Amino acid sequence: MADKKRKSRDSQKPYKKQSFNFKASGKEGRKKRTGPRLPNSMKKVLERLNPVDSEGEEHDGRIDSNENDKPFGNDIYEYEGEVAPEDSRKNRRFDPVEKLEYELPEDFQDEEILSDYADGDDDDGIGLTSHEGEVDSEEEDDGRHTRMLQGITGMPSEAFEGKKKRSSAVVSEAYPESEYNPSHDILEGDGKINIQDLLDPLQDKAGYSELRKRMQQLENKSAPIQAPLPKPDREKVERKVAYEQSKKEILKWEPLVKRNREAPALFFDEDIDLKYSTVGAIASEFEPRTEFEKKIASLVYDEKVMEAHKKDGARLLELNKVSVEEEKERRDRIAKMRSLLFRHEMKQKHIKKIKSKTYHRLLKKDRLKAFSVQREMDPEAAKEQAIKQEFKRAEERLTLKHKNSSKWAKRILKRGLDAQDDGTRAAIAEQLQQHVLLTRKMNSMKENSSSDDSSDEDEEDSAASDQDSAAKLLADARGKTLKALEEENDAPTSGVLSLPFMVRGLKKRKDAAIEEAKLALEEYEMTSKQKEDSHEAEKSRPSTSSGRMVFGAVKPQIQNKKSKPERTLDDSDSEDDVEANEDGDIGGQKEDLQNDIGNGSFSFDEDSQIHQNSIFKSFDNIVKDPSAKTTYEVSIFASDSWRKMKDGKKEGTEVGHSSKKKQEVGEPAGVDKHLKSVELNELGEESDTESEGQMVDGVLSAGPARSYELPSQAELVQQAFAGDDVEEDFEKDKMEILNKENPEPEKPVLLPGWGQWTNVQKKRGLPSWMLKEHDDAKRKREEALKKRKDAHLKHVIISEKVDKKAEKLQTKSLPFPFTSKEVFEQSIRMPIGPEFNPVTALGALNRPEVVKKSGIIIKPIQFKEVNPHEKGDNYRGNEQKGGSKRKRGGDGAGKKKASKTRS
Amino acid sequence: MRVKVISRSTDEFTRERSQDLQRVFRNFDPSLRTQEKAVEYVRALNAAKLDKIFARPFIGAMDGHVDAVSCMAKNPSYLKGIFSGSMDGDIRLWDIASRRTVCQFPGHQGAVKGLTASTDGRVLVSCGADCTVRLWNVPIATLEESADPPGENSTEPVAVYVRQNAFRAVDHQWDGELFATGGAQVDVWNHNRSQPVKSFEWGTDSIISVKFNPGEPDILATSASDRSVTIYDLRMSSPVRKVIMMTRTNAIAWNPMEPMNFTAANEDCNCYSYDARKLDESKNVHQDHVSAVLDIDYSPTGREFVTGSYDRTVRIFPYNGGHSREIYHTKRMQRVFCVKFSCDASYIISGSDDTNLRLWKAKASEQLGVVLPREKRKHEYHEAVKNRYKHLPEVKRIVRYRHLPKLIYKAGIQRRIMIDAAKRKEERRKAHSARGTVVTKPLRTRRIIKEVE
Repeated sequence: MADKKRKSRDSQKPYKKQSFNFKASGKEGRKKRTGPRLPNSMKKVLERLNPVDSEGEEHDGRIDSNENDKPFGNDIYEYEGEVAPEDSRKNRRFDPVEKLEYELPEDFQDEEILSDYADGDDDDGIGLTSHEGEVDSEEEDDGRHTRMLQGITGMPSEAFEGKKKRSSAVVSEAYPESEYNPSHDILEGDGKINIQDLLDPLQDKAGYSELRKRMQQLENKSAPIQAPLPKPDREKVERKVAYEQSKKEILKWEPLVKRNREAPALFFDEDIDLKYSTVGAIASEFEPRTEFEKKIASLVYDEKVMEAHKKDGARLLELNKVSVEEEKERRDRIAKMRSLLFRHEMKQKHIKKIKSKTYHRLLKKDRLKAFSVQREMDPEAAKEQAIKQEFKRAEERLTLKHKNSSKWAKRILKRGLDAQDDGTRAAIAEQLQQHVLLTRKMNSMKENSSSDDSSDEDEEDSAASDQDSAAKLLADARGKTLKALEEENDAPTSGVLSLPFMVRGLKKRKDAAIEEAKLALEEYEMTSKQKEDSHEAEKSRPSTSSGRMVFGAVKPQIQNKKSKPERTLDDSDSEDDVEANEDGDIGGQKEDLQNDIGNGSFSFDEDSQIHQNSIFKSFDNIVKDPSAKTTYEVSIFASDSWRKMKDGKKEGTEVGHSSKKKQEVGEPAGVDKHLKSVELNELGEESDTESEGQMVDGVLSAGPARSYELPSQAELVQQAFAGDDVEEDFEKDKMEILNKENPEPEKPVLLPGWGQWTNVQKKRGLPSWMLKEHDDAKRKREEALKKRKDAHLKHVIISEKVDKKAEKLQTKSLPFPFTSKEVFEQSIRMPIGPEFNPVTALGALNRPEVVKKSGIIIKPIQFKEVNPHEKGDNYRGNEQKGGSKRKRGGDGAGKKKASKTRS
Repeated sequence: MRVKVISRSTDEFTRERSQDLQRVFRNFDPSLRTQEKAVEYVRALNAAKLDKIFARPFIGAMDGHVDAVSCMAKNPSYLKGIFSGSMDGDIRLWDIASRRTVCQFPGHQGAVKGLTASTDGRVLVSCGADCTVRLWNVPIATLEESADPPGENSTEPVAVYVRQNAFRAVDHQWDGELFATGGAQVDVWNHNRSQPVKSFEWGTDSIISVKFNPGEPDILATSASDRSVTIYDLRMSSPVRKVIMMTRTNAIAWNPMEPMNFTAANEDCNCYSYDARKLDESKNVHQDHVSAVLDIDYSPTGREFVTGSYDRTVRIFPYNGGHSREIYHTKRMQRVFCVKFSCDASYIISGSDDTNLRLWKAKASEQLGVVLPREKRKHEYHEAVKNRYKHLPEVKRIVRYRHLPKLIYKAGIQRRIMIDAAKRKEERRKAHSARGTVVTKPLRTRRIIKEVE
């Protein structure tokens, strides 16, 4: 506020003065200016000719001159130049006479005198006291003014005298006006003599250009200088500027701080000081300790050798000299070695050429024997062998070299195995067997280890009696199928399945299933016959290790088969669970199928096992699913009609599969069949894996459903909700839940013997307190029910049961930094313990937010440039001794380790 | 019958020495361990409990002063040394490891009000109520050979500068030659000059505390008894900005890792974290104390700070958290006048009215001494697990629980009641007045009166 006042005062000052002056001279001046006027140059000339001038001219000049007195209107330097005492002649030190003779350059006046300029500007009239002509006209005005002042201030008029006296003391020009005797108006600006004017005469003189330049500089620079602000204001402005500046300065820290804040861990532990970072540096510190090292050192650092190294190589050559005998000996030795090698090579070649298989087999056997002996003797070799074997396995797993992926195998498969001769087929079988051997470990790892073990134990025994047991299993299966068929007759009486349309559908499916089961039984008959045939063939074949493995895989299947039917049979009695059971069964089937796929690779080399297997499975499934869920496996053996129902997509693979299997079923047993099965299984495996997705969602359940026409939607709905009262059911459910959560109080019962010893009590009935208690409990319950959240919601059940155990594992609200439930749950999803994570990941998972070591002084942050695009992961919070960066995260742990070992 | 076993090469599991740990092979298949979450939750719970069991923060007291300890200074280049000045003019240098006085600096006639040491740790500056600033040479030799401390040696001041007014605070620039004193005005001194290099005066009230920004050594902040906090910039050689709060700020601490941020310990029981660029609102209000906060010091890591209060407790706050994570108190500790974090961020030293300096662990349950790598990993795991499940109610309860002296507990409750009452009142006022006439200011700006340019 004060500030403003001051300013306004400043601005008012000149204004007042101006108005004051107006009284004196304004009118006349105005008059003059409005009339027609001569151009200024002309006036000048006139002036010169007629030195005693009219008042009007003077007035005009005066008014114009006012321009210069505007507070900051004109150039101050210019102004100074104009009032130089010499020029203004006020001091009269110079002789005026000589100036008469001087001739002025022509352009002198025209340059600066602008007549228009003078118009309109009459701000100020102060200090124009040296006017002769003005005095008279001012005389009376002054008198009035003093009077006015006196009136206002109450001071005597003498106080205001001084100004007037001064004005009267001013002497008017003694000399006629000319360029060399500039009159007041010229000096004060109307004449517009400025620096340029003064400079012009000097044009030819030395140093003119310099002077002019300086003047120009001054002119350019000349900005109005303002009155200094009051101190508090000035300081305020200064502070503001300083604040902005320091804000800007501090801005540079932002990226650094941001990165620090975002970093999951800050490192303040000092870097390990690796003194020797290069190999050379480390080597130079080496000191031989053991005898061998010393020996070597003595040789290497032998004086002679060192000297030779220091000088040129000639001496080294000398030292290198070898005697003739030595050289000869060496040569002989090498020759001998070479010849030995050559012989060995030849021998190997020869052996390789031998075509006799028995020979090779014997050779192999020998080698194995030797190896086993060696293994016992030499653990080193055993380990080597194990590693080699492991390597092979790994390679096989990676490349699948033996899985019909070679060019040769592909070609043969393309042509069809049937077209090949026995040898080729055997070779392919051999190859696949090898593959199985090599990938065995992987498969065995996949399986449940316990079952694997048990099967391993079993396999020795069961190998001999496998035919028998298979037959027995078949018999079992048949029995169970029949049983299941019988049991299917009882239909569910309540629940969803009791709905009419469901009943119909079920019946249809049941029929189909029965048919299939019958077919399956037929198949079973057939296979059992075949099996007997193949029995002989198998006997002739030497049992291979893979044979055992088949059992390893099949065994659990059999067990499954044994266990599952029992369970499902039990379940089927309880009617409520039927639906859920069905779902489970579907899942089970899927699993089974996948199992089959997995196990397929085991079982393919065993001929008849395949059929047994598949039959088992099919029986299994049939038995398992009394509610007539058609299964894929069954369908393979089922009539052609089923195939028509299948998806178009699936037909290519699945149908092929099934048909081929059928074909195979019909084939006589033998090696050929064995081979075929191998191939088939391979094919089946591939196709299965391809079409797994489809099987999972579509065919298994949808397949049989297509067997009858779908009724329209409306019909369906009508059928579905024909006889049931959903609302009532719901109410019943709700009531049940309510009763569970707020149990109804027991009715007071008269205990036998209680209060019966007198007739009085007997008459009265129950004691009143009992009734009261009961009523209270009832009321309480009702209140509780009313308070429930779902009390007014007819179709909603809101459970108010709180699981205390679960409660302590839940937060009441979302913790602060997390924005959503999912994020929070995600943050605690993965375990971070050493049991659940490899060591390499552990460090990063468990790292605290601030990594520091006690005993190390942490210095405040030091500025360094941050690359905004750089990922935050290779950052150290504080660069202490200009130390190197360390990576964080999983990488960091490894690196840390490395650096430690280096040190 | 053959028994199959998994074969591994012996090298993988044989130990080189008998002391070595047996290598354990693990299958990380998640399907094998389905209870991992439950296991970790229980571990977190146990870790929290263990933390409580091992929480023994108090290491020891250092007594020797005759009067209350009014100020302390840490030696930025020497971990074990800490200076303390007391109300009777006694200045001592302590060896924290042995908890004994190494050296004394006699000379002050009145209370020592400010202490600070240069970054290289060679010069100690003290100022006091006797209107003097004294510079001392810190005896490095005695520091190093603190094995034979019984002979308490004393030194003479290198320089004594007498001024007209009493001094209230002093602080040394980081890595520079300047130090600033606060009293009637802010004076910036050079070690080698007997007169202040610069003097700042903005307002007429006396300065209570001065703090240089360690990250940006040319910026300093002061708090004055006119309830203001002022920032100065030596580069511009002018005060920069001032914020006036409702109550006095007793001490200021700059975050050493975030040069724009500082925290002010206020008389109204709270600490206010400010961004020096935006003083019109505080970034965070740290509340838990039940009486005026008298001193504050940041951990060198910049992640937490320690405060000492008139309510006889020391609290540790996270730099971005509203409530303290730790509270330290003992029966005999009186009003805490000064607190310091040690330079390695693992200890806290507090000086109080009862003439003692007390040494605390910054983490109450931290294991002192050499920690083996395995132990360290275990601790880290426990910490991580605890941190992960800290939001679950059981863990939270255990982690948060602190046993408090009755007085403080009661005062806390009372304070809460008062705050709640005020809140209620405001709510009611709001409800009964025209909309928009009563505006609830957020806590972060509530105590700020204005920002002065």
